Amino acid sequence: MPRLLGVEIPAEKRIEASLTYIFGIGSSASKRILDQTRIDPNLRAKDLTPQQINDIIHAITGNKMLIEGDLRRELQGNLKRLQAINCYRGIRHRRGLPVRGQRTSTNARTRKGPRKTVGVIRNKDAKAGKV
Amino acid sequence: MGRSLKKGPFVEPYLLEKIDKMNNSGVKKPVKTWSRRSMVTPDFVGHTFMVHNGKTFTSVFVTENMVGHKLGEFSPTRIFKKHGSHTAKVTK
Repeated sequence: MPRLLGVEIPAEKRIEASLTYIFGIGSSASKRILDQTRIDPNLRAKDLTPQQINDIIHAITGNKMLIEGDLRRELQGNLKRLQAINCYRGIRHRRGLPVRGQRTSTNARTRKGPRKTVGVIRNKDAKAGKV
Repeated sequence: MGRSLKKGPFVEPYLLEKIDKMNNSGVKKPVKTWSRRSMVTPDFVGHTFMVHNGKTFTSVFVTENMVGHKLGEFSPTRIFKKHGSHTAKVTK
């Protein structure tokens, strides 16, 4: 299993597919990299020569692509900034609700998670007739 | 959809004027405003705005991170009510 840029260990797949196992590289970025380095995308990852691996690494770092930890850190920083300035988007992130104005009356399950049934919280004083 | 870059950011002219005046004279007073649609410009940093939310004014102290956002984003217009938070026991 070849290692790319630290921990990345793509498997026995075509490099076009195995490159996408790196966080921050999707299929289009992967195609772009292979195009640039003139590597056959149908090659298996294990068959790469050290020179080709080097080329790929150079293509990624040379294009100033954010990858793995750096990318995660940037995303986290963006989130933190939104929450720190107390703007609407930050508040929605904090509450775990949709951020871009979607409806929440129904749906929005991706953000809200599994349904939680909330029972009626009875007013203690209601029965005693105090209210 | 975002605003066309060609036009540049929108800021209510009277707000800019007010901030300009305060920046020149060096006094800092909270600015009451209804203009939630105004973009926060770099000149606004360090000033306090009282942004209307439809009912009251929310005090917003502008920091550097807020530049580029609209004033209205910092003054929520809806109240988040939990279940049971508005029963007689709590409101009393």
